[in-house]
Amino acid sequence: MQARKALRISQVGLRGVVGSGLTAAHVLEFASAFGTFLEPGGPVLVGRDPRASGVMIQEGVVAALMACGHDVITLGLVSTPVIQQSIRRLGASGGVSIGASHNAAEWNALKFFGPGGAYLSSAEAGELLDIYHLKKFRFVEWNLVGRLGCCEDAVDAYLDELARVFDLAALRNFKVVVDCTNGTSSVILRRMNERFGFRFLLINAQLEGVYFAHEPATNQRIVALQLAPLIKPLGADAGFLFDVDSDRVAMATEEGVAVSEEMVLPVLADYLLGRGPGKLIITNVSTTALLEEVASWYGGKVVRVPVGRQAAIDALSSFRPEQIAVAGEGTGAVMMPQFRFIYDGIAAMLAILSMMRERGQKLSEILARYPRYSMLKGAVPLVSTRVPEMLMELRRRNADGAVNTLDGLRVDWPDRWFHVRVSQTEPVVRVIAEQRGDPPERLFEALLDFVRAYA
Amino acid sequence: MPKREHLLKIGVSGIRGVVGEFLTPSLVSAFAQAFGTYVGGGRVVVGRDTRPTGQMVQHAVCCGLLAAGCEVMDVGVLPTPTIQVFVGCTRARGGLAVTASHNPPEYNALKMFNGRGLFFNQYERSELLDLYHQAEFRQARNEEIRRIIRDFETPPRLHIERILAHVDGERIRARRFRVALDGVNGAGSRLSCRFLEQSLGCDLHAIWVDPAQPFPREPEPRPEVLSELAELVRREGCQIGFAQDPDGDRLAVVDETGRVLDGDEVLGLAIEAVLARRPGDVVVNLTTSALAEELAARHGRKVYRTPVGEANVVETILAVGAAVGGEGSNGGIIFPGVHACRDSYTGMALLLDRMAETGEPISALAARLPRYARRYGQAPYEHGRLGSLMQELEEAFAGARLDRSDGLKLILPEGWIHLRASNTEPLLRLAAEARTADRLEELWARLQRLLGAIA
Repeated sequence: MQARKALRISQVGLRGVVGSGLTAAHVLEFASAFGTFLEPGGPVLVGRDPRASGVMIQEGVVAALMACGHDVITLGLVSTPVIQQSIRRLGASGGVSIGASHNAAEWNALKFFGPGGAYLSSAEAGELLDIYHLKKFRFVEWNLVGRLGCCEDAVDAYLDELARVFDLAALRNFKVVVDCTNGTSSVILRRMNERFGFRFLLINAQLEGVYFAHEPATNQRIVALQLAPLIKPLGADAGFLFDVDSDRVAMATEEGVAVSEEMVLPVLADYLLGRGPGKLIITNVSTTALLEEVASWYGGKVVRVPVGRQAAIDALSSFRPEQIAVAGEGTGAVMMPQFRFIYDGIAAMLAILSMMRERGQKLSEILARYPRYSMLKGAVPLVSTRVPEMLMELRRRNADGAVNTLDGLRVDWPDRWFHVRVSQTEPVVRVIAEQRGDPPERLFEALLDFVRAYA
Repeated sequence: MPKREHLLKIGVSGIRGVVGEFLTPSLVSAFAQAFGTYVGGGRVVVGRDTRPTGQMVQHAVCCGLLAAGCEVMDVGVLPTPTIQVFVGCTRARGGLAVTASHNPPEYNALKMFNGRGLFFNQYERSELLDLYHQAEFRQARNEEIRRIIRDFETPPRLHIERILAHVDGERIRARRFRVALDGVNGAGSRLSCRFLEQSLGCDLHAIWVDPAQPFPREPEPRPEVLSELAELVRREGCQIGFAQDPDGDRLAVVDETGRVLDGDEVLGLAIEAVLARRPGDVVVNLTTSALAEELAARHGRKVYRTPVGEANVVETILAVGAAVGGEGSNGGIIFPGVHACRDSYTGMALLLDRMAETGEPISALAARLPRYARRYGQAPYEHGRLGSLMQELEEAFAGARLDRSDGLKLILPEGWIHLRASNTEPLLRLAAEARTADRLEELWARLQRLLGAIA
């Protein structure tokens, strides 16, 4: 029942179950904080996913931003990547995305973007949070209150940019089945069919405010649910699954096999390092070691950062864009330099299709090239006070491996590693172990037993 | 005593304040959510006047209403009476008008209506205020959040239809009156032109009918601020001139010579017009001229007196089934045949109909009204002193008949004196009336002497 009252206010923004956790009052105050935080200048863009509560939240966000003196442009039902792209195109001073992405329908959230559509850095996000807590907002005089406009062609302008990055004419003959999870990807893909003659066959394409056709997660289990069984009967080349705001993607092969969500990043690393050997892959410490193996084929290198979107965003700013091949997580959220480092499932899908075309390979053939890695994941309820002691002891017992303490404890041996860390979203300790070849069952069980002894 | 400015007022008359540091979107949304909770969800009609902060405030209102599970019917920029008529015609649970009526442009406020489109009565208002302070609002979950529907066309059409059912439109159009209009760039700007030109066939000469422009004069249509309208009437040879306030409930009238009629004369003309068609009783506030009694007596009807305030007059009109009513002191004509609310449109139609019926100029009609001399004023006032002040005045005017339902009204053989504390400012409002100017000056001088002596 805990989830039903959930509210989480953090550097990532505001997230919660509408009504029982997240209320109109939270929305107005957080949006007022953002309106105070943003420099005056260009307009602020606002878009939302199809959740019913999005209308209520948008009204509050619009009012708060206008009261802070910002002109507001609403983009309607659009994905988060479309909002980010529009911020840059329209020279906006920032934007707000209303949508809870891969969370269930009763959730909603606000994500904030600065100039250029950039994610807020940790320092900026911290400042925003301080303003929120201080509750001293910079409301302007009555005659300086912002104006409201709307932009109808945000999706088309976004597609113009995709057309500059990808050779769309060469990709449109792929027959692709897409599960839209009743979200904003359907708007984009339908338009691609109309405008560029793509052959996307869409399922769960109706925008829904209350009931999604399935849990809105992008993982192997959900791909196998409705999408994968359709691929062979329809004779499609591949299947892709998007979350509600289409920043994450998962996939299935032309044989109708649901692929692990962990594979999206290695496939794109393979493709993008092939085009730019020696570059970097930025990912977190919980992501598959297959990445190091793929990187070694091209003289590339993997930079591992703590788990969480914010750490990846901060890491990106410490390198020049041309040094980086790809950045992402094992959840199917991937950023590419060609697309200015925005988590964008649609762009990730187009990159995978481009790879299939350029290499003349089917998706299953591409995947067959990678050695098998097996990952086991678990969670143990947390007793916060004993975590440091547990991690120290775990480190002492595994002194023969290569130790990484960026986020909890990761220990690597040749062909094998584990990672134990505290979740940022739930009161649990997460345990992950991976091995080249068969699953590392004995290591995993031993870790779980060890962690449970501290629970 | 330092001047106390009421930059924010939350009380039984709702919420009103200067937008910026005082009237914030969070306060507005919370008040709207309390309203939505009070009416128990369902449809709520929302409209606004043309203040530059109107759009911002309306979005905050919508946020609060949606969060309480209400369906919002957005009717856009419309006069308050048009919104009230529409609320009464549809199956809405209530309505909210975003308008500070005749207050300066830096103010905004909410006018609240029940499901019949009537102002909340005093019991409803205090229940709502309690609910707001308890802050336990209805918090709709995602699946309980309703939509925003927009209908900008039906409300004006219904309002005009209602009015035309009560006047002889044919007769008015046949006269093709030359009419001047000062719309103060308010919510009625467009509707007033359409109503006078198309519905009533007038030859219209209008100023300040652009809702996108700021208020060109003090928003309250007092005689002192209507010189441009008077000048327009003279220059164009108009037979009558009308002026409205920003939300189109108050009406001021200029005769064909360019003289601004006072509010009691306007109300008197409206009473005449209504009683000539359909005899009935009359309801006015305590400060309205005794001409109301004389006019009613001509038709064998009686007058009910109420405390000052539109809601009080409306309550009594409905309770006694009166034919017409209003408040002479502020240009408020209330004709329940159309709707029990202050309505400048009904007022304009009644006056034009009376002119068409009698064939007389408006100055002649006004000249035939019972003649009284009136004077209004104000005096600084210390809270807590009203009681002793009233006692001393009672003793000084020992023979007077008393009405203590709103401050103190002393009814004398030669006239009357009314004094009451303002609801909005730390002021004592004074009014006096007598048969002749000489008698009035005597009364006024005596009142001033007494107030001076007491203070």
